Amino acid sequence: MRKPRGEAAHLNRSSSFEADALASLDSLYRTALRLTHRPADAEDLVQETYLKAFRSADRFEPGTNLRAWLFTILHNTARNRARDRARDTVTVDSEAVERAEVSIATSGGDTPETLLLRDTLAPDLQAAIDALPDAFREALWLRDVEEFSYAEIAAMLSIPLGTVMSRISRGRRLLFERLQHMRPAHV
Amino acid sequence: MSDCSSIDPLITPYIDGDIGAAERQRVDAHVRVCVPCHSRVAAEQAVRDLLRARRVALSAECASAALRDRCAGLGSASARHAGATALAWHSRTTPFAFAAALVVVVGAAFLYVFTDRSTRVLAAELTADHVKCFGVMNTLLGTSADRLTIERAMASTFGWQMHLPDTTLGAGLELVGARPCLYAKGKVAHLMYRHNGHPVSVFMIPSVMRSAVPASPAVKDEVVDVMGHEATVWSSGGRTFVVVAREPEADVAQLVSFVQAALK
Repeated sequence: MRKPRGEAAHLNRSSSFEADALASLDSLYRTALRLTHRPADAEDLVQETYLKAFRSADRFEPGTNLRAWLFTILHNTARNRARDRARDTVTVDSEAVERAEVSIATSGGDTPETLLLRDTLAPDLQAAIDALPDAFREALWLRDVEEFSYAEIAAMLSIPLGTVMSRISRGRRLLFERLQHMRPAHV
Repeated sequence: MSDCSSIDPLITPYIDGDIGAAERQRVDAHVRVCVPCHSRVAAEQAVRDLLRARRVALSAECASAALRDRCAGLGSASARHAGATALAWHSRTTPFAFAAALVVVVGAAFLYVFTDRSTRVLAAELTADHVKCFGVMNTLLGTSADRLTIERAMASTFGWQMHLPDTTLGAGLELVGARPCLYAKGKVAHLMYRHNGHPVSVFMIPSVMRSAVPASPAVKDEVVDVMGHEATVWSSGGRTFVVVAREPEADVAQLVSFVQAALK
């Protein structure tokens, strides 16, 4: 049987890779929105991510996690952009984290956890997530919304596994506190 | 009872179910008796559950159709570029194959009527080819070509058994492509290289085609400045070679020495 020509096989592989990569477009865009806060910037970031991915397609190892690979490119690109703009500082609101721990420990009556689950609407939740410090929001979003593993997140963000868990933990606690404050009883 | 500091790093993986049975039991035992840690677990668990419960709503934002089109376009463009790169050599070898067929039909190599041409005319015309070929095939500057493939094409087209300058030994010379150029009534082989990011051409002509050819088998180089380039012309083994570059004089001399040694 005649084998496909080299270039035809290459184009077929490219086409398949392209389709698989584009399947992650929406989740990349949502994550880009969390990183940039502005739709236009998120679109630019996603576009640059795909440009790099398509140009580096031959470096992707078939059989590994394409989605995680794309997210890694997205975060690297976002990090480089932030560095370029000389505003690559991560603000860690330690006091807020401590306040969250105190409020959690001193709450009484209906458990805050059940109230949180019952009352929080998606738009409020989204707003509270967007208000989190970058480092916490990034880790929490990748874990709890995009459902990546700790190891995948560590690779994407180029940080140790322990730091990933620590950021997820702090992000969750901080988010809990902010949602508590957004509840009508706290207004 | 474990202390809080030893439990602390286990809490998040405990909530995520990413922990071994023994450690899970340790955390269970601790949070039963430690109010702060119990509260922390409850809060983190609540947020995790909330995010997962609202995951569909949080995933409602979609990329616009325009962004989707643009990204898909990037993929197509990359595929075309990759395909073009893959096809570029094919398109370059096709004329070689065609020329090879001509050689067979005619039963001779190439017919040249250069003897009345001066070295300067030759240098000027080939420098023009150098500029034109790199201009037309500008994308070649970003590509590399396989030395063995070009050597095979040269053998089949011109009947030349040659060893092209090896990229790894080439003092910065990198082979980026080759094509036959029309010249007078025949063709010459045009090898295109990159040296320090700049184009360098090596033309090989299957005849001695200079107006005043010394009798010695390896004639002295002639260097001609033309169109801001330096063309170095020499004949050897019944062929004529021309190196065209726009590099400092010393670099050109080094390139020529290298090419002469490699093409012997």
